[in-house]
Amino acid sequence: MSAVVSPIREPLITGGKTYHQITEDICSPTERVPSLSWIIAFTISAGFLGLYVFSVFWTIWKGIGSWNLNRTIGWGWDITNFVWWVGIGHAGTLISAILLLFRQKWRTGVNRAAEAMTIFAVICAGQFPLIHMGRLWLGFFIFPYPNTRGPLWVNFNSPLLWDVFAISTYFTVSLLFWYSGLVPDFATVRDRAKGFRKKIYGFLSFGWTGSAKHWQRFESLSLVLAGLATPLVLSVHTIVSFDFATSVIPGWHTTIFPPYFVAGAIFSGFAMVQTLMVITRKVLNLQDYITLGHIESMNKVILATGTIVGTAYLTELFVAWYSGYIYEQYAFYNRVFGPYWWAYVGMMSCNLLSPQIFWSKKIRRSIFWTFVMSIFVNIGMWFERFVIIASTLARDYLPTSWSYYVPTWVEIGIFLGTIGLFFTLYLIFVRTAPVVAVAEVKSILKSSGDQYVMDADKYKEKAVVTEHAETH
Amino acid sequence: MDQKNEMKNDMVWVGLEQLTNDPEYTKSIEQEFSNQPSLAEQLVEKGSAANRRDFLKYMGFGLGAATIAASCEIPVKRAIPYVVKPDEIVPGVATYYASSYVQGGDYCPVLVKTREGRPIKVEGNTLSSVTKGGTSARAQASVLSLYDNNRLQGPCKIINGEVEFFNAKSDDAAGAWKIVDDAIKAKLTPNSNIKIVANTIMSPLTLKAVEDFSKVYPNTELVQYDAVSYSAMIQANEASFGLAGLPTYRFDQADIIVSFNADFLGTWISPVEYATQYSSKRKIGKDLETATMSHHIQVESHMSLTGSNADNRILVKPSEQGAAILALYNALAINQGKEIVSGPAVNEGVKAQIDKVAAKLLTAKGAGLVVSSSNNKAEQLLINAINQMIGSYGTTISFDRVGNQRKGIDQNIQGLIQSMNSGSVDAVFFLDGANPAYDLPNASTFAAALSKVSLKVSLSGLPNETLLLCDFAAPTHHYLESWGDVEPYSGQYSLIQPTISPLFATRQIEESLLVWSNSSFLTNTSDQPVFDYLKSSWQSMFNQQDTYASFQMFWDQTLHDGVFELPGEVRVNTNAAIPVSSLGSQITKPSKDGLEISFFETVNMGAGQYANNPWLQEMPDPINRCVWGNYLGVPVSWEGGNEFTSLNNLNGREFYGEADKVDVKVNSEAKEVTVVRQFGQMGGTVSLALGYGRTYTGKQGLALGNHVGTSVQSWLGIDQDGNTQYFATGVEVSESKAKEKDFACVQYHHSMGLKAVDPVSGETLNVDEKTAMTVGEGYQGGITERSIIYQSTLKEINHLAEHITEKRGEAEKLNQHTLYPYDEYKENYYEQGHHWKMHVDLNACIGCGACQVACIAENNVPIVGKYEVSRHHEMTWLRIDRYFYGDFENPNVVYQPMLCQHCDNAPCENVCPVAATNHSSEGLNQMTYNRCIGTRYCANNCPYKVRRFNWLDYTTADLFPSNEYPVNEEELPFGADNLTRMVLNPDVTVRSRGVIEKCSFCVQRIQEGKLTAKKEGRRLNENDVKSACQTACPTGAIVFGDANNEESVIADRLNHPLNYLVLEETNTRSSVSYSAKINNKDEALKA
Repeated sequence: MSAVVSPIREPLITGGKTYHQITEDICSPTERVPSLSWIIAFTISAGFLGLYVFSVFWTIWKGIGSWNLNRTIGWGWDITNFVWWVGIGHAGTLISAILLLFRQKWRTGVNRAAEAMTIFAVICAGQFPLIHMGRLWLGFFIFPYPNTRGPLWVNFNSPLLWDVFAISTYFTVSLLFWYSGLVPDFATVRDRAKGFRKKIYGFLSFGWTGSAKHWQRFESLSLVLAGLATPLVLSVHTIVSFDFATSVIPGWHTTIFPPYFVAGAIFSGFAMVQTLMVITRKVLNLQDYITLGHIESMNKVILATGTIVGTAYLTELFVAWYSGYIYEQYAFYNRVFGPYWWAYVGMMSCNLLSPQIFWSKKIRRSIFWTFVMSIFVNIGMWFERFVIIASTLARDYLPTSWSYYVPTWVEIGIFLGTIGLFFTLYLIFVRTAPVVAVAEVKSILKSSGDQYVMDADKYKEKAVVTEHAETH
Repeated sequence: MDQKNEMKNDMVWVGLEQLTNDPEYTKSIEQEFSNQPSLAEQLVEKGSAANRRDFLKYMGFGLGAATIAASCEIPVKRAIPYVVKPDEIVPGVATYYASSYVQGGDYCPVLVKTREGRPIKVEGNTLSSVTKGGTSARAQASVLSLYDNNRLQGPCKIINGEVEFFNAKSDDAAGAWKIVDDAIKAKLTPNSNIKIVANTIMSPLTLKAVEDFSKVYPNTELVQYDAVSYSAMIQANEASFGLAGLPTYRFDQADIIVSFNADFLGTWISPVEYATQYSSKRKIGKDLETATMSHHIQVESHMSLTGSNADNRILVKPSEQGAAILALYNALAINQGKEIVSGPAVNEGVKAQIDKVAAKLLTAKGAGLVVSSSNNKAEQLLINAINQMIGSYGTTISFDRVGNQRKGIDQNIQGLIQSMNSGSVDAVFFLDGANPAYDLPNASTFAAALSKVSLKVSLSGLPNETLLLCDFAAPTHHYLESWGDVEPYSGQYSLIQPTISPLFATRQIEESLLVWSNSSFLTNTSDQPVFDYLKSSWQSMFNQQDTYASFQMFWDQTLHDGVFELPGEVRVNTNAAIPVSSLGSQITKPSKDGLEISFFETVNMGAGQYANNPWLQEMPDPINRCVWGNYLGVPVSWEGGNEFTSLNNLNGREFYGEADKVDVKVNSEAKEVTVVRQFGQMGGTVSLALGYGRTYTGKQGLALGNHVGTSVQSWLGIDQDGNTQYFATGVEVSESKAKEKDFACVQYHHSMGLKAVDPVSGETLNVDEKTAMTVGEGYQGGITERSIIYQSTLKEINHLAEHITEKRGEAEKLNQHTLYPYDEYKENYYEQGHHWKMHVDLNACIGCGACQVACIAENNVPIVGKYEVSRHHEMTWLRIDRYFYGDFENPNVVYQPMLCQHCDNAPCENVCPVAATNHSSEGLNQMTYNRCIGTRYCANNCPYKVRRFNWLDYTTADLFPSNEYPVNEEELPFGADNLTRMVLNPDVTVRSRGVIEKCSFCVQRIQEGKLTAKKEGRRLNENDVKSACQTACPTGAIVFGDANNEESVIADRLNHPLNYLVLEETNTRSSVSYSAKINNKDEALKA
């Protein structure tokens, strides 16, 4: 890792940090009394979590009829939210696995938080396939367990079953990856802690001593997990897209879905990482570790994936026209000009048009615009799923069944509730674990610390100036 | 003996010892368990007295067991076996009894299916020469009314509009009847001036009872009236031929049918009979070269069910109907050299068309038929004269059998109001169905006059508005509990026999009349006096026939068949000259007075007598596809651009499920109604259905039919002859006042190719395709090119056949591009054994909806209520999609029954993660409710959108009452009580919340048929299995059967050259094929 670094490379750690300072900076937030802003944020998040619990209870107690789905539109906000959250959960694994394999050093600043985000997002996503079931209490039917019902088995032809395996595998691997990365850092925290905390972190760090053998095994495990996780990044959303692509519904039944969904997932995942990082680095004072360089790199990914997604949107329109299949043609006419036109406009403007401002380096390095854009992309990607699911179902083959759909408070409550669930988990995470991978950052200090990089000052000043310009 | 006396009467004893209190026995009872040692003793015996640990163990176990046992509330199930099993009842096997459904003038001979003594379904009686096995939605739904919670359970007193309800569970029936009977008899003297008010009575038995009653009370008068009146027709026939009755129509003999607003396929006189006849002239055989059809012209302002089936519609305002009839008369008179009748003229456009119609009628001499629903006597006389001129009498119209379905004369009931006001009426009896306090145009006047009568008794089985004004209620049985007979046409009889013993302490009308007139038939020995009465009265029928030698043989066979017929006879001279010269001044004067409104009877709700039947309330109106209410149909006009505008720009956001409420003002009385855009509604007119807005159909908080829709009765007019008129002029419709919260319309989308001329470019456009888009313009071909509906005219039938062949060829070519070889599968599975398929003839389907209600009855399909339907949560397994096509202002309609297509390559099956829906080797797409977890993926992936999800606990089958929702704000959710649940078909699972359901091709019937064939050791034939929708259909549009049986009708129908599969290019390989809609439109009749 400590190869010679070109002077045109931007330093990834600023502030002339020493190893000790890194430990101090990153571990101290877990050791302080929570700040007022954290308490406020946590209270709000927990409130939304309460809303989630209540809305889910209401759904199960009253029935899916407490939602406004209907005979024509069988999936609405529920599956929209599911796909949205799964998509968000893609950045973490991409950063930790694929960027690890590609030896992108900048991943070290953000991978921990991104992985945590992945896990929390997948937890949120996992709620929806469960609660959208008419009979949740029989949900265990989807597992191929030995039973006494004769030859009764699950249906391996169904993409919903593939989903079960894809999501659970993805969750397991992501969790392992995240946790194994945390082990050396938990050991660091343990070594600094006293009393009961020491015991907990001692347990969590599995007796890590930092011996060479430990490090060797750690590195091997990381590589193995990265190797396992890399295909998963591509497969999970591919399989989620099969939920639609294998159907016969015009607007769903298209072969472009797998790559388009994966690009969209990375796009939205990075946007969510940006949303979180911009706030986290400020609140936890981690600007030296999550630098403008990191943010810019991620904005580049957003620009690239956003453009891929936009190209896919346009390709869909072209293919619908070129296919000569009237149902497909009408489905896309309807998406653009039908009663849900506003969702299509939202999707196009947030996902295809607005990321194009990142061609400008100044905007790419602006905290303000990064934050605004990250929110835009999150909204746009939600719209994308809504367009695909609800507006497609609303008008399919038989015009006599056409319908329109507006959610009830229960559906909105569940969606807002999962956001509450997500942030509650995230806020607990920032209080209990090092938000930046301490060990990994240390590993690149000697190659990417600003004191070791030529002309580092130029980047530093610029960063500070830009940040001030945007914050004031 | 002393000891025995100590026993209470109601005590049950086991053996003589207990009865006699034998001391030994008593002792042994006290020590029943004495030979078993107690727990403590057992422990002592083992040598170890119970110690603390054992105590704790037993306590723990005991508490645990008690807790578990106590925490499960075990429902009490009552099952009482027969002491002596009746021979004809085999548990699990249905028994059928012939009977007849009658409600006022509605008549349908039926077979009643009973299971374990419960009637659960009616089927048409194929032995009837009137209906030939057809049924109507009303007849299908009638079985539910038997189990209506709101039925009166016994005699009641009504004091100041408050009913003292009789409770069948706790009150003494005989005592209550005695009190009521005594009170009624005390008020009657032989001189009493008594009026018996009834809707049309078709029953000779009831008429005999009235006659016997009037022998004791000579001043009794029977006043028959009909909520939807036909009195002008009856009077016109009397004036024309001296016979006050209805003729027999033969729509199957008519090549040209002209109907002036008569909805003969939906509601007019005998729609089941007419639909059967009509469709026989509309079906297209396999040989297209020789295909012929009758030509049907409908003259009306609102789109009726009949008008929607017509080839041409001539739009005429309600007030101009008379002038249009006169124009037709004059056009024919000129041709025949008769004197023309001067009178109001119809506008030029209509006149030009009427002239063409006249020319057509003349060419079809003897095979024409002109009918009218007009309740103006002069207009009906003109219709008779027209039919005489075109030679209809003797071919398409006959008086050899006089129709009894409508006998009501408006003047009689109006006269009753006057006599009640004058104080000359002592007693009024309202027979079942008669509800003048709701359904008369001047109901409030009637109510006021009624208060002057000292004895008012309602004999209605269901509560109604008139009941509240009475002193006593002496409720009659439901027809499924009754003995009786019907004579729909003179000489054609059918019997009514009970299929269940009366559920409540009700008493048949005939018996009540016999009781009040102290008839000799009420001997103490007979427990079924009406049965004896019926048998004795049928002695006269026996005497008129010579097939059977003994009365018992005659009776048994007739009761078995349900129908009996005597030959018809020539009764009148139909050539008698009809005086027409003065009629021109008596017909309705065309109004120049602004907007006009027409009031019409709907297929489901009638004149309001079915308001408390949720199966009918939730049956979508065939035309406007709305449920639970009546909606003001407003005309739609094409504004060009991207808009079609309805009257006053109402309902612009119908696509979003939003409807406007407006104030409609008729004769200065305004009412708030919800609007629905209605294609085919003539410009300058609006329409609103009769029969809604009932205020008392049962107890408040229990009745489903209370306050559904708006009552229009007070808007009806009365003409100079005293006949009720079903239209009004000078109507004002306000701008939108409010939004309808629950716009319960199951189909917003309107068309499959409505054409209009674009005002800007002058091109002909598909209007609906343009307007389906919210932003910008539509895509021409986006909807009409779908392979859902194929239609054409008779002239271009060969062209259509080619078109279908070409399109199917294209689809087949597309379907070859598959990884999965279907042919191999077909060979190995579907060509072995049975392969169930259905064929629907779109040309025979008239959209009456009988199949839809039959499906609900057969398959326990839940009813969900207005709010849920407005959210598109309706559960119907079979729906009838309606598409408009053709001219925008005056479109044609095609109905398409849409149900699970049982695709052999079903999209729903492969997406279910738990394999809850799968395919049988006989081609059935099966739904396993137990396995379903409710992901709804199958419903999403169904191109036909026929899968239904149980969003809430609609069947009240769940353990948690919190999931049970009322359908119309009633306190007890519909179906949550044991009485209503008696209607459930035990062969079909009641689905719980959270599972998907759909049409099963009546798999229970298939199974039953297979078992029958197996037991009889023979091959299954096509009469063994018929689906519920198939048997209900009056026109034979639906054929179901085993396609592998080459001799079957279905196998034959599958080869029809006009056949197609809906959405064939999706490669679903559906098992339901449709044959295209053919229209015999005459382009010369441009309108």
